[in-house]
Amino acid sequence: MYVHSPITPCARLCSQMTKMADSSVDVIEGCRLPVLRKNQENEDEWPLAEILSVKEIPGRKLYYVHYIDFNKRLDEWVTPERLDMKKLQFPKKEAKTPTKNGLPGSRPSSPEREVKRKAESVSLATQVSPATPVPSLPGLAEASQVSVYPAVRDTNTFNLKSNAHDDHEQLTSLTTVHQHFITFPLICFPRCANVYLPPGEDSQDSSDGIPSAPRMTGSLVSDRSHDDIVTRMKNIDCIELGRHRLKPWYFSPYPQELTTLPILYLCEFCLKYLKSLKCLQRHLTKCNLRHPPGNEIYRKGTISFFEIDGRKNKTYSQNLCLLAKCFLDHKTLYYDTDPFLFYVMTEYDSKGFHIVGYFSKEKESTEDYNVACILTLPPYQRRGYGKLLIEFSYELSKVEGKTGTPEKPLSDLGLLSYRSYWSQTILEILMDLKPDNGERPQITINEISEITSVKKEDVISTLQYLNLINYYKGQYILTLSEDIVEGHERAMQKRHLPIDPKCLHFTPKDWSKRGKW
Amino acid sequence: MSKLSFRARALDAAKPLPIYRNKDLPDLNDCVSINRAVPQMPTGMEKEEESEHHLQRAISAQSVFREKKENMVIPVPEAESNITYYDRLYKGELRIPKQLFHIQPLGLDNEQPDYDMDSEDEILLNRLNRKMEIKPIQFETMVDRLEKASTNQMVTITEAKLLLNEDDYLLKAVYDYWVRKRKNCRGPSLIPLIKLEKRDGSTNNDAYVAFRRRTEKMQTRKNRKNDEASYEKMLKLRREFSRTVTILEMIKRREKSKRELLHLTLEVVEKRYQMGDFTGEVLSEVTAPLAEKPVYTVPITVTNGNRHNHKAEIKIKTHKSGGLPYHGYHHVSVKDEDPFDFVRPKKKYTRREPLCRPGRPAKRQHIVNKADIKQYDFHSSGEEDYPLSPTSEPDEENDPDGTFAFRRKAGCHYLAPCLDQTSGLLWDHPELAGLDALRHRQSLTALSVPQRCVGLARRRVGRGGRVLLDRASSDLDGVLKQLDSGVFSSSFPKGLSDPQVPTQNHRTMPGSASSLTDLLSNIQALRWRFFRPRSTQGDGSGEGRTGRPSMDNRLSGGLFVHTKNSGSGGITEEQYQVHQQALAQMQKQQLAQLQLKAPPPQQHFSLPERQNTQTAGSTDCIISKTLDSAGAHFAASAVISAPGQVNNENKPDNTSVNGVVQPLGTSRPPHSTSTSQGGTGLDRSGRTPSSCGPLLPASHSTTPQSLPNHRGHGSAVSPAHHHHNARPSPSSLKLATMATSSLDRVPKVTPAISSMARDNHEPERLALNGISETTVPMEVT
Repeated sequence: MYVHSPITPCARLCSQMTKMADSSVDVIEGCRLPVLRKNQENEDEWPLAEILSVKEIPGRKLYYVHYIDFNKRLDEWVTPERLDMKKLQFPKKEAKTPTKNGLPGSRPSSPEREVKRKAESVSLATQVSPATPVPSLPGLAEASQVSVYPAVRDTNTFNLKSNAHDDHEQLTSLTTVHQHFITFPLICFPRCANVYLPPGEDSQDSSDGIPSAPRMTGSLVSDRSHDDIVTRMKNIDCIELGRHRLKPWYFSPYPQELTTLPILYLCEFCLKYLKSLKCLQRHLTKCNLRHPPGNEIYRKGTISFFEIDGRKNKTYSQNLCLLAKCFLDHKTLYYDTDPFLFYVMTEYDSKGFHIVGYFSKEKESTEDYNVACILTLPPYQRRGYGKLLIEFSYELSKVEGKTGTPEKPLSDLGLLSYRSYWSQTILEILMDLKPDNGERPQITINEISEITSVKKEDVISTLQYLNLINYYKGQYILTLSEDIVEGHERAMQKRHLPIDPKCLHFTPKDWSKRGKW
Repeated sequence: MSKLSFRARALDAAKPLPIYRNKDLPDLNDCVSINRAVPQMPTGMEKEEESEHHLQRAISAQSVFREKKENMVIPVPEAESNITYYDRLYKGELRIPKQLFHIQPLGLDNEQPDYDMDSEDEILLNRLNRKMEIKPIQFETMVDRLEKASTNQMVTITEAKLLLNEDDYLLKAVYDYWVRKRKNCRGPSLIPLIKLEKRDGSTNNDAYVAFRRRTEKMQTRKNRKNDEASYEKMLKLRREFSRTVTILEMIKRREKSKRELLHLTLEVVEKRYQMGDFTGEVLSEVTAPLAEKPVYTVPITVTNGNRHNHKAEIKIKTHKSGGLPYHGYHHVSVKDEDPFDFVRPKKKYTRREPLCRPGRPAKRQHIVNKADIKQYDFHSSGEEDYPLSPTSEPDEENDPDGTFAFRRKAGCHYLAPCLDQTSGLLWDHPELAGLDALRHRQSLTALSVPQRCVGLARRRVGRGGRVLLDRASSDLDGVLKQLDSGVFSSSFPKGLSDPQVPTQNHRTMPGSASSLTDLLSNIQALRWRFFRPRSTQGDGSGEGRTGRPSMDNRLSGGLFVHTKNSGSGGITEEQYQVHQQALAQMQKQQLAQLQLKAPPPQQHFSLPERQNTQTAGSTDCIISKTLDSAGAHFAASAVISAPGQVNNENKPDNTSVNGVVQPLGTSRPPHSTSTSQGGTGLDRSGRTPSSCGPLLPASHSTTPQSLPNHRGHGSAVSPAHHHHNARPSPSSLKLATMATSSLDRVPKVTPAISSMARDNHEPERLALNGISETTVPMEVT
């Protein structure tokens, strides 16, 4: 890796580039290149990916890749064989404008973040090299915002001489860069200024000053500027939970010494993390839980819901959060669990009440959130449990007499699930409306909201999404198209296990009247 | 059709929307473009992620097919669900209960060790098991304790021994193993734990630190900040309001009593007028028996911790002769007048007089008449043994006593004062006149230097901790002189210091004819208390004037009192011995003190500390320490009597010396220790008023600022000093007489020569305590 290289990477790369073709090219963090992966139909595809990290295990190197425009959960360690070195793009700093530009995949890549952790001299060199002015090569790369290092071009048009010239230019420009850097670090190379920030400070905020601690309400972060390379990578390989082995999707702050284990063992009922099967065995002799340690507030059939107070049962709440973080990208575990209630959905069998999913909820929400985080564990996904969780959350809101909405940002799966639930719920109401005295049935958005406890905005967005709202003869109307009706009927057939409000034993507490949550 | 030219109105959520089926609206297509007029709602996703390939694919698939197709699902990493050993791992079955689970709030932790043994540990365990039996849980508990006791540093083997309480071999084996394992461990602990935040903020960006405490108050409403400060203010306000209510209630009660008293007094005056009792004879006759009874006592309860301020105790006694004024004693020493004399000006409280006016004659401004006194008729003793003791009031900020507040000491046994006995003993039996009464209050006392019997006396503590002996003259005096020579082997000229002044209202005792033998047998039978110094302690200087008993002495003395009280008779031999020991200690201190005093006799207000330094060479450090603390203590107790008393050396009329010293902050029946007050000034004046410290909760009004004064005062022990300072005034004399002469059988006080006062004896104290609730002993010097 470049860090260990005595000469500056750019110089070395340039010389290597002159040889062209062979695979001895150093793929560093921040590089982009097509990486082989199997799609759902088990076909090979070569999506563009960014190298987030490189590690060397005996015998070979492994690359942690993020597929551009794919969700992070698909990020993985790949062997060099899966890299298409011919299309390697080196990171270009100028293009690395912050994510604010809204372009896809424009998150800053790792090297510059990594740099902060390294000695300044090294970081200077590495920082500077990509920042060198390079003749623009239009129309080259797939990712337009990343300008491509000249030597990488998949052409042989450059002759040796020009390469040598390039090389020379690189070196000279390197020195000028240094001068510039020293003289006007902020003006000339804003990104370089980052090296002056203390480690841990975020590079994105170099002009904004010290990043403040995240807000204390809610459970999700949308401002990812505090992310660093550590949290962008999955750190747990595999989690064993009861009968299941789960592949985590995202980083989770389990104790660091446990992240190197091939498998992290969790007690299925108390969710305690253990380093080995032996430990789990020992733990199970002491742990006599067979259900989540809370009050069961709902039971119908095999489905139960348990309510856990994040202040009263910290250990379980924390363990649950750690597990959930493995599958929720935006979830933050920055603060304690005190202001939350956790509703854990379980499925009963003779061994006990097995966790299927959960949602958390702020005891007091300033923004009408009735759900903070919501998760169906992967083994239970795509089987209707998610909708059940959502439905349950709205049933609670109905008891509270409030409308609610999930905390934002939603994940992709969250958006799909909620949309699906909202669509079904609203369509059900609309289709059940019978003509009144021969008049056309009508309903207000507020009424829909009241009946369903779905927040007004969500009702509107669903109606929009379903394309139901139309402006006809000077007024808004709702129109139900054939395919909508059919689609809904099909969906309702597939939908099973609805929440039965009669089985819910829940009395909302007014948390604002208490001193503490 | 052409595009509509008008702008669509905003969507109104409250407006009914008619529902159409598409087939009902053939011309709907015209409207489609209008749909855009409704502002697009955000999806709630991050922009960046919203554009992700799989999501977009899924969304478009849905919009096309209205249903997710299998291949249009967002891919996720795979999960397996075929753990084969699951059933072996999770043993046992759970039958679903009929009831919903309800978790008990505290039923969760069953004290199981958090540490879970791994395979490596199992090897060790198997090895150990060859030698002894050790269960996994035992091993886990050991490691668990070691882990939890270690922070950054591992516990040492010695600590481990204390921690584990296991067999030595086992302990060593496990400890060594643990040390090795912990050193190899990558994590900070063998029990994997979530990284905790550090207070310095260095972990603010550590990705592995989770569940930080929310340091700031969570904002519940945007416009209504529930900040802590205002909450606290509200609490304070509430507290103060409730205090106000209490105080107002008390005032109401007081004013009612005052009115009642006024009416009664009026009635009395009218009656007297009708009877022609212009000299007050009838009145005094009538009031005398009344006064013997414990005065109307009302325990006042102020729940806010201020109650000490309101707790005052007034002892009112009428002199039998009637000419003498009533006495009201309170920490704000109240000067009072003849109970029915309304002519005098009223003044409720004596204010603290500036200290810089020495020698000013007594002012008459602090005169309170009985009606005023009545308001202080609060009875405080006994309260402490009931739920109101400060320990039950955690609200310390409101406790004016501060560090002097009474706190129960563990292992200390507190007894309730025996009110009925004391009163029964002394006041409810006016028929116990004469010697018997005297005997209850006074004891036979002997001094070691000069070695002689001083007759009936009682001891108490005066200002600054001096021990005062109140002597009483009786018909036994003659006999007692014989006792002197009879009891003590060494003969001292006793006449030298025995100028007994008979009281004007001295009553002859009926049983005065007792002979020496009777007396001796009485003493032997413990019917009479007789205290005399032990022969061993008779040495040293004969000049002991001041004694500052240590706290211990006082405490033991206090306990003593109670035993005595409960016995209600004489004291036992054991008690006497204990007392003697205490006395011995006191005397030692007295000696030490004396040595300190000797060098700077001209110094008026030398603080004990200063004296210590001056005589540093000859002073034993320990003694000086005890002296200081004792001095401080006395000073503190001296302040009890509040403003008026602060400068009591300058204004004798205000004087109310605490005859009683109490353990800090307590308001228990006082344990007085005797100190001889070397006050020749008092001597000269014949008797000195020192209205005796109303037996008040000590230090209830103690202010730190006033301490130094008292210290200075307390240490001004030499007679000469006292002379300068103490100016008896007529009124104070009156007070004094009043105090002592509750039934005019009391003793006129003999100015005992200070050297005699050195011998401090318990009986006085006992007696004093016995009557402490209702009497105000007179200070004698």
